[in-house]
Amino acid sequence: MTDGRRLALALLSLGALLGVVACTAVFVGSAGLSARAVASALTGHAAPESVESIVTLRLRVPRVIVATLAGGALAVAGVAFQALTRNPLAEPSVLGVTSGAAFGVILAQIAGLGASVTDTLAAAGCAFAGALLAAATVYATAMSSGGLAIQTLLLAGVIVGIFFSAAITVIISIVDFNRLGGVVHWLLGNVAPVPAGSLTAFALLAGGGFLLILRSARELNVLALGEEAARQLGVDAEALKRRVFLAAALLTGTVVAFTGPIAFVGLVVPHVLRGIVGPDNRVLVPASLLAGGAFLLAADTVARNVVAPAELSVGVITAFCGAPVFIWVLRTRARVLP
Amino acid sequence: MSVLAAALLVLLAATPARALTVRDMLGRDVTLPAPPRRIVSLVPSVTESIFALGGEARLVGRTDWCDSPPAARAKPSVGGMIDPSIERIVTLEPDLVIATDEGNREETMQQLGRLGIPTYLVHAHRVAEMLDMVARLGGLVERGDAVGPLVGSIRGRIEAIRARVAALPRPSVLYVLWPEPLIVPGRASHITELIELAGGRSITAAMGESYVRLSLEAAVARAPDVIILADHSTAGTAAGRPSPEKWQRLTSVPAIKAGRLHSIDLSVLHRYGPRIPDGLEMLARMIHPEAFR
Amino acid sequence: MTARAREPLVEFRDVGFAYRQAARAGGRRFAFEGLSFSVEAGEVFGVIGPNSAGKTSLLRLLTRVLAPVRGSILIDGRAVLDMPHWELARQIAVVPQETPRPFPFSVEQLVLMGRYPHAPTRFFETAADRAAARDAMAATGTLALASLPLETLSGGERQRAMLARALAQEPRLLVLDEPTSHLDLRYQAETAELLRRLNRDRGVTVLLVSHDLNLAAELCDRLLLLAAGRVAGLGTPAEVLEAPRLERVFGCHLVVDKSASGRPTVQLAWGPPR
Repeated sequence: MTDGRRLALALLSLGALLGVVACTAVFVGSAGLSARAVASALTGHAAPESVESIVTLRLRVPRVIVATLAGGALAVAGVAFQALTRNPLAEPSVLGVTSGAAFGVILAQIAGLGASVTDTLAAAGCAFAGALLAAATVYATAMSSGGLAIQTLLLAGVIVGIFFSAAITVIISIVDFNRLGGVVHWLLGNVAPVPAGSLTAFALLAGGGFLLILRSARELNVLALGEEAARQLGVDAEALKRRVFLAAALLTGTVVAFTGPIAFVGLVVPHVLRGIVGPDNRVLVPASLLAGGAFLLAADTVARNVVAPAELSVGVITAFCGAPVFIWVLRTRARVLP
Repeated sequence: MSVLAAALLVLLAATPARALTVRDMLGRDVTLPAPPRRIVSLVPSVTESIFALGGEARLVGRTDWCDSPPAARAKPSVGGMIDPSIERIVTLEPDLVIATDEGNREETMQQLGRLGIPTYLVHAHRVAEMLDMVARLGGLVERGDAVGPLVGSIRGRIEAIRARVAALPRPSVLYVLWPEPLIVPGRASHITELIELAGGRSITAAMGESYVRLSLEAAVARAPDVIILADHSTAGTAAGRPSPEKWQRLTSVPAIKAGRLHSIDLSVLHRYGPRIPDGLEMLARMIHPEAFR
Repeated sequence: MTARAREPLVEFRDVGFAYRQAARAGGRRFAFEGLSFSVEAGEVFGVIGPNSAGKTSLLRLLTRVLAPVRGSILIDGRAVLDMPHWELARQIAVVPQETPRPFPFSVEQLVLMGRYPHAPTRFFETAADRAAARDAMAATGTLALASLPLETLSGGERQRAMLARALAQEPRLLVLDEPTSHLDLRYQAETAELLRRLNRDRGVTVLLVSHDLNLAAELCDRLLLLAAGRVAGLGTPAEVLEAPRLERVFGCHLVVDKSASGRPTVQLAWGPPR
């Protein structure tokens, strides 16, 4: 089977999976609409101001898109960080990058940024800056002790994560007690429908990050040989690292700006996918986009429905899935690594 | 004056199928095509007030926290205050959602706004604002005639309690909204005002905004005569029940020496609704037990 | 061999280099000062010397991982520093001392990575790339291992797979860093035979960096003996591997003998136990 065909097969199957999950997500919800009502709204037969139209087209469909984009972006960021650090445990939340982005967004919220497209972009910019700061700190810390040893990297990530969480806590203690509930709720990570303008901005930013990483996929494969060997094979390793770091921080920051910090998607999805499609980043990156979307969408659909009409935070569900996978990978990989 | 405003509103509303614009308690203009007939309340005290006004027929949805009066539980719930299901709200086809800027999230309002569902925000810190809120709600549910008697009775009961303790010496009171971290009512909190009315003096009355953090050390140094712990366990769960043991150890504090450590049902005291006099009386009995013998 | 036309493929011209950190720390100072030598096309050239003589640094300078502070390094008359990374990688392929870990890819995927410098902007390899990879695996006897993950292979198999990857680059110069350090005697012999065959059949120029004086003597047409960044000997194995020179450079007593092939062999002169 050629590479192209292998990629097409993976994308077709994952696309089908995503389709099934997306259908489920559109058809179930606390409004308790009948399948017929949802179908009539989707096909445009229902009146535009009817309950089924509003619930289906203006609540569920945008939410499905946000969850899919966020999950896909986080999974791709996970693959990118794993390839950069040559460490299967590297992931935006494990590396503290998510906390850095969350800090940026909280600062933006305190500064009074609202929901308009420009404000959303500004918040995403703050998140990107926070993510970049955290990622650079972790990377520099881990590198300074000579090479990217797995333990050093994880420790550096934990420390940077703690630092930014502490910074967030400082801000929270200043915030009026009555707003605390909202901030804490945001910090758990939630998917909510986003208006079309902001959704377009989200899709463009995430798409940009994704394309940068996809374009570098072959070079990221070569980077698995080690930085020096990659350079000897003709890869401009410095430029590659800069580019992929920026793209992964952009993906993480954008997602955090739109959904709050959601952990472990970038760990669970690539890990499971490697078992199915193998380690080749050229297949893994686009496959992660689809599978990550399907995973977060499924998690969000569960979050929306288990305690309906109230909702769980989707971040809680991903953490429940992620922590066991983390421990499992740590146990199996720790034996192989020095 | 607010009663007048409500009466005016009722007059306006009496004209059939006329669009009306009302200004909510945050000063936002809310335009409604007609007086609202299907209201979703995201605020427990609003739910209580609408019931007390006899406007419950117009209430089509509430939150999980709107448990009073008991009849409110018969209304469909849309979830929590922070995380209500927008879907469920839409299904109820409300023509108005009433929320607060404290306890609900701004994003919820933004989402409802995008769906074209008008939101009316209430904001009540002082007793006067609470009465204003009752009057405004009376106008919204077209029960203007019930406003006068209800507001009068609330005002009367508050005045009766105040009069009973007014002449007594004012003990210093520490009100503990949350024990860890220690969160207490500040200058703008209605609790501070209620403690005043109940014949006490809140030791945190001069602090910050509505709710502030306080170090335990500072609390001890201010030597309160009475300590009142908020009991969050109204939903029948043990979580949120105050633990007096921690306070009992602070034996240098006058309140502890005198055995004046109390806990009070949060849901009565913290809802700016018609049950405020009940809460005030509970407070007054704790601060001035001698006045109620 | 001597009949083959010889022209310099690699040329070090008066190269100076020092590790900045080492110089600042004043510790184990290491530097090249005016290092000059050349490697002819088609020869097997060995770089030998004691620990920290500069063998690995020489290799890194050649592959542009490090840059000299003085002098120039030329490939085919062109300065290494003026070439894009990928163009240099078409000239020089390196077989590193260590195989990378973790490394989740299969042998075939590894070997295909060798095709990167031939089309850096291409997303997937072409049929021609696959043919080149298969050819490289056939030459190193790793075709049967193609679909296995590198991590599951033995040390000798891994070494051959890494060599196949370097061959897939179709380089003019094959650089090997301590190719036999992790191999037992049988694999050492096999590797030596393989390198000799590649040099003979494919005309690949080989630059070998090794601790193993006997392997170098057996394989190489010429040797460069480095000592503390300076040339301590340059010439045929018989010329370079003289007991007094080696004893001076390595600081121990040695016995130099001749093997069955007529090449010198070097042994430690063990004294009686004290």
